Amino acid sequence: MDADTALPSRAPTATTNEPSRARRPLSLAARAAIATGFVLAGFLGLVGLTLSQANKERALSALHDRLQNFAIAYITNFDVNRYGRILPPDTSPDPNFSRPGSGLYAVAMGDKDFRWESPSAIGRDFSFLVPLEPGASRFVGPIDTRMGRLYYYSYGVAWDTEAGKSVRFTVMVAQTEDQLEGGNMAYRRALVIWLSVLGVMLMVLQLLLLRWSLTPLRKVASDMSRVERGDSEQLDSQYPLELTGLTERINAFITNEREQRTRYRHTLADLAHSLKTPLAVIRSQLESTTGDVQAGRSTAVLDQVRRMDELVAYQLARAATSGRQTFASAVPIAGAAEDLVQGLEKVYAAKNVLCEFDIEDGAAFYGEQGDLLELLGNLLENAFKWASHRVLLEVKAQPEHGRKRPGLYVSVEDDGPGIAEDKIEKVLQRGVRGDERVQGHGIGLSIVQDIVHAYRGELVVDCSPELGGARFSVRLAAS
Amino acid sequence: MRILLVEDEAPLRETLAARLKRDGFAVDAAQDGEEGIYLGREVPFDLAIIDLGLPKMSGMDLVKALREAGQRYPILILTARGSWQDKVEGLKYGADDYLVKPFHVEELLARINALVRRASGWSKPILACGVIKLDTTAQTVTVEGKLVDLTSYEYKVLEYLMLHAGELVSKADLTEHIYQQDFDRDSNVLEVFIGRLRRKLDPEGTLKPIETVRGRGYRFAIPRTDGDDE
Repeated sequence: MDADTALPSRAPTATTNEPSRARRPLSLAARAAIATGFVLAGFLGLVGLTLSQANKERALSALHDRLQNFAIAYITNFDVNRYGRILPPDTSPDPNFSRPGSGLYAVAMGDKDFRWESPSAIGRDFSFLVPLEPGASRFVGPIDTRMGRLYYYSYGVAWDTEAGKSVRFTVMVAQTEDQLEGGNMAYRRALVIWLSVLGVMLMVLQLLLLRWSLTPLRKVASDMSRVERGDSEQLDSQYPLELTGLTERINAFITNEREQRTRYRHTLADLAHSLKTPLAVIRSQLESTTGDVQAGRSTAVLDQVRRMDELVAYQLARAATSGRQTFASAVPIAGAAEDLVQGLEKVYAAKNVLCEFDIEDGAAFYGEQGDLLELLGNLLENAFKWASHRVLLEVKAQPEHGRKRPGLYVSVEDDGPGIAEDKIEKVLQRGVRGDERVQGHGIGLSIVQDIVHAYRGELVVDCSPELGGARFSVRLAAS
Repeated sequence: MRILLVEDEAPLRETLAARLKRDGFAVDAAQDGEEGIYLGREVPFDLAIIDLGLPKMSGMDLVKALREAGQRYPILILTARGSWQDKVEGLKYGADDYLVKPFHVEELLARINALVRRASGWSKPILACGVIKLDTTAQTVTVEGKLVDLTSYEYKVLEYLMLHAGELVSKADLTEHIYQQDFDRDSNVLEVFIGRLRRKLDPEGTLKPIETVRGRGYRFAIPRTDGDDE
């Protein structure tokens, strides 16, 4: 029985991102199955051997007893007359002795060339027999003879006549092996069959037990993949005592990671606030002082303030992007997109822009909610800004075989002027270089590019086939 | 136009308030959310500018509270973080627009004008009632294409009347929305402004753009020619 096929699931391992998987060690189930398989086979083999040996010995001793009984029965039937002549028996202890070739033979030989054979043994060659001293007995077998393999029992007897003479003769009873062996073979076959059945049953039982006792491990693995897929926050089932050490540590790790991310984001938000408010003060004060004398100086300072502001904004947004995470929860797209579109429709109410969405049911983003909002928000705001009347948002999940989390395709199109093909490169380039941006244009796109980059996706800018304006499409790979 | 400005950073609040006043707005400044909610409920503002990072009561809660108190005037939120999370949340709770700090004061003024206009049902930056056109961006007024020279307060009075063209505007409304609290509220001043406006807009006395509703107030009588965006 193949241990691996008996267990339907090879417990999925939680460590999926090992760089080079040399050779996966055998699964616990396979190990246990192989080990118990060998032990069971050895044990059952030994039991079989012992039983068959014991049976053989028992059979031999039974044979010995039987042949001895026959011999004694014959001896009591022999008689010696007063002249010392041996008189052959007139009855046989078993009818097989009278049937020629029955496999049960009796031969007697004695003084004065006495020789007697049971009817079954007439005409057969028993030259291998040797007379024995009175009182001696032999049990021999198996030996090869013309009649096949034989066991025989011979017994030497001395008969005292009335005349005071002693007549010696030897009685031998033989049996062919096939009679003994026949019984033995059947026994062995039965033994093998029963032991095999027992072995299979024990193996199946063993595998069931194994499955049952490995269930918690499989549960941990499946809970873990739920956490990875983002369907669950923690390993939240009840686990057996042996595993709680592991699961509690994993939970602590996950919580810690999340807390650290939150703390990091808050720090960044505080930093943003404390940097940008002074910048806002400087800017508004400079812009409000319109005196001619200061005008020139103000412009130069304002320019620097603008650069500082953009650098701060860009770098903070970049630092806040958390990127791909192993334990990210799934953020449904539909809700976030609706909020954004409603907000933007409010802000761009004067433009009367109609935004249509086509969001596949259940499409989700695996990462920070904030990153999703930045990604969609910047793309949509851009589209609202440039659109003349229509914006189209399309979101599709892209499941990939063998990956737990499906990929994501997001495209935002507008019916605005679009971006000329030779300008696309420039638009994207400008996004990458945070410090050389055109005022009010591009920081959003560079944030989008950074997020896409952090999630190892790609951003494509081309022409919208349906609306005729620009189309920004983002593709995030399945993981 | 009366504006509520809630900003905790004193220098920014003062510069902005000064700049808005110079542009003819009446400004009530509050330094935290609690003061903001008090003023926001009591005074009939035309617009509120609310910073999201406020002490005592966050800007987000203030927006929510004002909307829950039934205040309908447009709200513009200022955010330092500039994250979409803040923007979306703010818009969801009832803000109408957002501006990321630091911003150009010009940008802020443009947004304020657009919001106030939109709130009174005008979708384009030029308010047109017959031959009288008021450009809220350039802050100029033309009659039959000819520029009319108005003082800042005259412009504000006309803008307010035209924004609410067709509606009755009481003297109290006008004074409240145009003047600072500490300004001289003598209704004669208002009558003087209205008189001057009538003379400047309609020297021949044929258009009669501003109607006096005896004992109740004024009404801009020429119907809107541009109400809907095409």
